[in-house]
Amino acid sequence: MSSLIGYYSLIFGVGVSILVIFFSIKNFNDTQKLDTKVISLVFLQLLFVIISFSGLILSFVNSDFSNETVFNHSHTTKPLFYKISGTWGNHEGSLLLWLLVLTLFIFVFLLRSKNQPKQYKILTLLFQQIIIVGFFIFLIQTSNPFNHVFPVPKEGLGLNPILQDPALAIHPPILYLGYVGTSIIFSSALAAVCSNNITKIWASHIKKWVLVSWIFLTLGILLGSIWAYYELGWGGFWFWDPVENVSLMPWFALTTLLHCVLVLEKKLILTSWVVVLSIATFTLSMCGTFLVRSGILNSVHTFANDPERGLYILIFLFILIFLSFFIFLIFHKSENNNSKTFYLLSKETSILVNNWFMMYFLSVVLIGTIYPIFLEVISSQKISVGPPFFNKLILPFLIPFMLAMAIGPKLKWIKSDIEDKIYLISFFVISLILSVLIIRNLDINFLYNSILITAAFYLFFITLRDFFHRKYRNLPQITAHFSFSILILSILFNNIFSFEVITNLKINETYQAQNLKINFESIEQENKQNFKAIRGKFVVEDQNGLIEVMKPELRIYNQPNIVTSEADIKTNIFTDKFMTMNYVQNQDYFNIRYQVKPFMIWIWISTILLCFSGCLSLIRKKYEN
Amino acid sequence: MYGRKVKLRFFFIFLIAVTLSLTIFLILKSLEENVVYFKSPSEIKTLSEMQQKKIRIGGMVKTDSISIVNKELSFVITDFKSEINVVYSGLIPNLFEEGKGVVAEGFLKDENFFSATKILAKHDENYMPPEVKAALEEK
Amino acid sequence: MKTKIFPLFLIFTFSIIFFVFYKGLQNTNIYTPEIKSETKIPNFDTKEFFSKDKINSDQIFIGRDYYLLNIWASWCIPCKEEHKYLMDLSKKENIKIIGQNYKDNFDNAKNFLINLDNPYDLIFFDNDGTIAIEWGAYGVPETFLIKNNLIIKKIIGPLNEKSLSEIKELTK
Repeated sequence: MSSLIGYYSLIFGVGVSILVIFFSIKNFNDTQKLDTKVISLVFLQLLFVIISFSGLILSFVNSDFSNETVFNHSHTTKPLFYKISGTWGNHEGSLLLWLLVLTLFIFVFLLRSKNQPKQYKILTLLFQQIIIVGFFIFLIQTSNPFNHVFPVPKEGLGLNPILQDPALAIHPPILYLGYVGTSIIFSSALAAVCSNNITKIWASHIKKWVLVSWIFLTLGILLGSIWAYYELGWGGFWFWDPVENVSLMPWFALTTLLHCVLVLEKKLILTSWVVVLSIATFTLSMCGTFLVRSGILNSVHTFANDPERGLYILIFLFILIFLSFFIFLIFHKSENNNSKTFYLLSKETSILVNNWFMMYFLSVVLIGTIYPIFLEVISSQKISVGPPFFNKLILPFLIPFMLAMAIGPKLKWIKSDIEDKIYLISFFVISLILSVLIIRNLDINFLYNSILITAAFYLFFITLRDFFHRKYRNLPQITAHFSFSILILSILFNNIFSFEVITNLKINETYQAQNLKINFESIEQENKQNFKAIRGKFVVEDQNGLIEVMKPELRIYNQPNIVTSEADIKTNIFTDKFMTMNYVQNQDYFNIRYQVKPFMIWIWISTILLCFSGCLSLIRKKYEN
Repeated sequence: MYGRKVKLRFFFIFLIAVTLSLTIFLILKSLEENVVYFKSPSEIKTLSEMQQKKIRIGGMVKTDSISIVNKELSFVITDFKSEINVVYSGLIPNLFEEGKGVVAEGFLKDENFFSATKILAKHDENYMPPEVKAALEEK
Repeated sequence: MKTKIFPLFLIFTFSIIFFVFYKGLQNTNIYTPEIKSETKIPNFDTKEFFSKDKINSDQIFIGRDYYLLNIWASWCIPCKEEHKYLMDLSKKENIKIIGQNYKDNFDNAKNFLINLDNPYDLIFFDNDGTIAIEWGAYGVPETFLIKNNLIIKKIIGPLNEKSLSEIKELTK
């Protein structure tokens, strides 16, 4: 029943789209004010999508297996929480969620932009409706979440246990809020170009949307990382896997856009650049959806894939790209640069420098991700691009990037000199000494690593001082740069100081290394509702005689039949201890991995702080002064 | 001849062109160095010279071939045409099983002997990297 | 001049990217594991579908003919898709088609056969899905080609034209 209502709501939703387009075109030239009819229609559309989405949630909660999506992805023994999160844990449901957020955002946009010119608002609405209709057709044509199964099966096929994780349950909605937020930026930038409305007012208006998308995207990436760390049991948080890269690319574009919009808001320069970035951000989000959902990428995170769906997104994506491209060419009047001159030492130059680095990082990730696809099509060579590629190309460039991040915000708009040079230099010396002391005794590339850490420390100290020095002058910026420095520092320390032991042990055997002793004491079995748990007990003794008991677990799920490793993680503020075990087929041995990973928790904390700085900026009324 | 602004413009365009070409050069250069090629056991037998670079080998884990000697895991990867012995001492993924697909990354010692530094498995047991699928289909 | 070359160049680049992605889409990543080495079939006890008599697997797979074991259920949509291929195969003299009714309701299953026709020479129950585990099956539908008590081919998912011709080729 709820499936039926859901399905018809979708159909009505498309119908409303047509009405919205019709009335907004009619409204475009005739009256002064935006027709309230249009707003009510947008609301109606939102309502239909909400009904449709609730219908799907209800089907999942009631385990209504006459619905094909529910049958394929749910099971009666699943906890209620995962039944609900299962709604968007699959292809069909996640697209419905996309649609829900799309319609929600355009409604909020119309409510929140009362002071903007009418024609601009209508144009934004029209562009957004093109995207919405595209998604409606995609949903109904190729991935209808309300397909009927008859006769009705008694039991569903279950949800992959790896996906049964709280972080992963809220990860897709948050990430989508970020992705879809960029659609508003896209539509509004195109509308602003068409109606020639690129002004300082527009910049501060669109800045909020950029911020909102940025916050959600950052949070979404964070949640994905947390899931990978706790659930996958690989002991890492970032693997440069294509699926992860795909979410990072819009993030780079969005961060760049955020900084550019600040310049635009202040000085009304870089207009073309802002428009191009707005288009790029949404295109990259869509491209991400395409790459993930079509199965074209060879990734460790697999999704059910269907070439027909991929083709649809691909065509839709390129229609949008070409549409925006032509609008940009036809309507955009290039700015008159003559009256404004760039000075070498000014805030806008430093932001431009930041842009160049960001664009460089973006192109590295982009090329590393899609190069294998190109090579396979052109020469049918099969390759993969691994972490060394990204580390080698990105890490060295973080050094000038972070130095610029530290000094850039101190410069003034238009033209300035660096103030209090003594401070800047002395902080640099302190950071240098500190990192040399830290690196001194380690067996790694001394020069490279110490300079890298120096740059990170430098940013850390400079921003830390700014908190006290110029009180509240630009708190969001300081907080953001500060948390970024903590993020980079903890990632660097995490990489440099972490160590691991991988070995195969039998019960009662002991692994002995110079600084560590692992004793495999015992093993116990336990039958749970939908899986059998095999839990090992290990006693780890380090060189100081400190003893830690680790209990990693193997889970053998019955529905579907999958074995997963549950890591045992002991967290404190300095370091994480991480152990996983796995069985070796036909042997008495268990494969053990023990890792010590310093500053793990600071990676999460700093990213949350980064999001928080975004929120700070959002609630601030005025930017500087 | 040209005004100051035109000169400045030219300077900027020149700067952009230089940075762009440098960037592209850098990326392509590292791609060449860091790309890991994928081979099947049969392709390894036909290699004319031994490769020093890191490669990936994909195929099936041969039945009854997994054993542990001196704490090191050893097994055989087969594509049902040729076989290769693999030794490995690292993390073993959940889905590593006899008769299932596997991808091993590492260095070739000689044409029958492979020293793996990483074993890859996928979340989904029915899933296999397209490379393995293609390699298995080719025969 | 400059302003025209640049857009053309961009359009050209995007078209190439589109083409490459389009080409890349043709290779799908779903892999169906194939049993290459011939494995022995499992031994199990079950009940015959219509008579509900007890029956052992040794009584089902006898003789030197080819057997095609098909795991199906009335609630399974792909099973309907592959039904016509089973009907096609049931016309072949040297193949006996055995149906394994997986986690199903008897009345639904019976209606399924009445509505669509019955391609099976014999059907047995697998009400709790344990026999499917014995076979090492991944899901429904799944089909095994058996000769001399050995599995010589396994098809995961519904049969299609390609697998149909493969089966015909193998059972010539």
